[in-house]
Amino acid sequence: MPVRVLESSAPSQVSGANSGHTSFQACTLLGVGQAFSGTQNVSSLQKDEAWRVNVRIQGCDLEHGYLCGTMEALNVPMADTPVVTFWEGEIVDTKNYTFFTGKWEASPDDDIRHWTKFPSFSPLQAQVEADGGKSLDLSNYPYIFMRWKEQYFVNVGTDCGLTIAGFYYVCFSCSDGSISGFYYDPNSSPFQKLELKSTNDGRFGFSFSSYELQ
Amino acid sequence: MPTTSASSTTTPSFSPTTSDPILDRLASTDCEIKLKAVREVKNKIIGNRTKKLSYIKLGAVPVVASVLAEADANSDSGVNLIVQSAAVLGSFACGVEAGVRAVLDSGVLPRLFSLLSVTDDKVVDATARSLRMVYQSKLAPKYDFFLEANREFLLSLLKNENESLTVLGASIVIHSCETSEEQKILCYAGVLEKIISLLDGSLSQRDASLESLAAVLKSNPEAVSKFMDIHSGRALSSIVELTKDRYSRTRLLACLCLICVKNSSCHLQDLGIKTKLVHILLELLDDPGQVGDEASLAFSSLTAEKEDLHKIAFEANAIDKFYCHLQISSLNPKRLEGIFLALADLCSKLECCRSRFLTLQALSLVVDALVHDNTNVRKAACICLRNSSRSIKNLSAGHFMNESTVIPLVQLLSDLSSSVQVAALGAISNIVAGITPGISVFIQCGGIKELVQLTKSMDSSLRLNAVWALRNMVFHAEKTCIEAVFMELTASSIANLIHDPESSVQQQTLALVRNLVDGHIDFIEYAFAENGIIFDAVGRRLRESSTAEIGIQGMYVLCNIASGNEFYKEAVMQQVFPEAEDGSKSFFNQCLQSNDSRLCTAAVWVIVNLTNPTSSGAYGRVVKLRNFGTVSQIKKMVNDPCMDVKLRARIALGQILTFGES
Repeated sequence: MPVRVLESSAPSQVSGANSGHTSFQACTLLGVGQAFSGTQNVSSLQKDEAWRVNVRIQGCDLEHGYLCGTMEALNVPMADTPVVTFWEGEIVDTKNYTFFTGKWEASPDDDIRHWTKFPSFSPLQAQVEADGGKSLDLSNYPYIFMRWKEQYFVNVGTDCGLTIAGFYYVCFSCSDGSISGFYYDPNSSPFQKLELKSTNDGRFGFSFSSYELQ
Repeated sequence: MPTTSASSTTTPSFSPTTSDPILDRLASTDCEIKLKAVREVKNKIIGNRTKKLSYIKLGAVPVVASVLAEADANSDSGVNLIVQSAAVLGSFACGVEAGVRAVLDSGVLPRLFSLLSVTDDKVVDATARSLRMVYQSKLAPKYDFFLEANREFLLSLLKNENESLTVLGASIVIHSCETSEEQKILCYAGVLEKIISLLDGSLSQRDASLESLAAVLKSNPEAVSKFMDIHSGRALSSIVELTKDRYSRTRLLACLCLICVKNSSCHLQDLGIKTKLVHILLELLDDPGQVGDEASLAFSSLTAEKEDLHKIAFEANAIDKFYCHLQISSLNPKRLEGIFLALADLCSKLECCRSRFLTLQALSLVVDALVHDNTNVRKAACICLRNSSRSIKNLSAGHFMNESTVIPLVQLLSDLSSSVQVAALGAISNIVAGITPGISVFIQCGGIKELVQLTKSMDSSLRLNAVWALRNMVFHAEKTCIEAVFMELTASSIANLIHDPESSVQQQTLALVRNLVDGHIDFIEYAFAENGIIFDAVGRRLRESSTAEIGIQGMYVLCNIASGNEFYKEAVMQQVFPEAEDGSKSFFNQCLQSNDSRLCTAAVWVIVNLTNPTSSGAYGRVVKLRNFGTVSQIKKMVNDPCMDVKLRARIALGQILTFGES
């Protein structure tokens, strides 16, 4: 029996000034252990260039709007080996973090310029411009917006000639686990695009591990 | 005369080892000689632990107890003997366990209690002080508050105008009020009012009042509510005032009372009082004596599991302050334990606290304490290490995976105390989690062997935590690590653990299997080793299980196996939908209808993998799923209120529909 698939959930507004935000729902495709691969476009005026990128989620704490993981850049020209970095993410849940970064040299204008690059942001834009999106309830929205900030190099020294000064504006699709992102660093090429898809390690389906810290 | 729940005995704990003339004089029939001897003993042992121990060894306590027992409270000489011998017995019991034991074993307690009723104030004072010393010890017999006569006697002590008697009454409450039932009976017997009234008394009455209040109110919202009802909660303001008292012990006890009220009620929840308590307790750490020792434990009871208080403490530089105290060498074990537990609390939730802790290099001091002589210190150090290693950022950087940390931790897995073993397993569970690089350090020092050994323990908490550590270890681990764990643990042991009597062990074992069969596609074969003993056990456990947690982990085992090739998908299909089973009774369909959205999601993922359109047998499986009623169940889930369930059901349905509508 075919059933009608309802329209995608639209973000709702939190009713009442003091009402608490609904806690963010877990999305299994963004759980610990999940892997993603794709590219980061690092083209400049001089040349077109893209690095292959693998990402793995290492930790997730929705209560605190926290996510972290590793990012591996594979064909970095000046590095002999793939370069792995550890990043920490802020989930825009309007409770712990809003759409406005408020640090890392990102002004509200920079924020809006980057968020508007994601089509899934457009239903939210007006509200975000009005109050930073504080009144939005994103808990049931099928996209998760985040900022990922690389914290340290895992396998190379800081003298590797690469920088992790900037951060990524990220949009994750809960439906298919795809990730889009834009790297922001006032001193690097603007709008370097990150595109990742959920991977399955050569399996014929999805698999999920888990660990639990005590 | 009150009764105690422990029976008195008259067997002395120490037999006289050598004769001493003083013992003869104590046993003299001449009152003067006897009195002089008792005084002599009193003067020799007062404040002198060595002398106390040597007299206890000589067997002086039962002899002095006999002097007291035989003295006549109605004669002047008898009164003097009673006063002096009671003082000696109290002195023996003061701060020396062997002394308390000897006093109790002498059987003198009932006599001491009976002397509280005589008319001579000196006798009453002396015996009350002596009994107070006994009741300061954990060895003292528990006072039975459930006996009406005992409650009446206790009230008579607390109501008395004699200060020593009131303080003795409070000491009995401090010693024996432990359970919520005991707290309740004291509240409703009028004891709470009497204790509160002592707040206006002398210094010792005030301190005894505060300490006994804490005993009655601790973790008991009903008692706290009753406390707040008495005189409209005026006592609370008095206690708040006492946090500024000139005596550090009074300040500490006042804080403890306020913590009890705060933790069990809606009172004292404002930022101001919380900040104040944090600051006072941090200041009290500077006290070199018992108050300083107890301040960190009080701090833990204030901040345990409370993120807002962790933040306040962080801003008050609590971590730096505790670290400064840790750096003082030769801290006594109680203080060391308290500081580790306070640091553990602070590091339990907030990354800023963990980060500060690690920046200060406090970790090396914790690691040093893993080999401390004192069991409680070793345990507290493990707990501190466990909580500070909740930092994924630092775990991923390998900051905990080094020989100096791992070797003593692995050694603690053979500790004589099982609570230390459990605490060490907690720290190891975090440190070996697959997100940590350099696991070979742990493997090379025999860690896997030790963990596997503990999975066979008779103690279920050891089994649970050992399996938990192995589960974390094989999370996205390298092939060599996974192989090493599987070889050591074996398929049959895993199958046994899946059927462990404890459901928590079953759940962790299923999570371990889930991780084992993830990663490289070849790892799925582990579930089929030894004629599929693990795979069969998972299936049986899922059918017999009643908890969602077990269902979730078991479902993900099946999901991961079903992400393999056609052989594995068919194996899962047979396991989940056996030919003989009726779809309406299918445990799998029941999981799809669970109220727990995590279980529904896991079950839908199994269907997603089984219906993967690129696999050759998908069509046949879809037909079977329709026959079992599973497809119609999936259709109901595409508009589920839980987004994860809804989105996965849509993927599954999309795949199913590629094979047609029916």
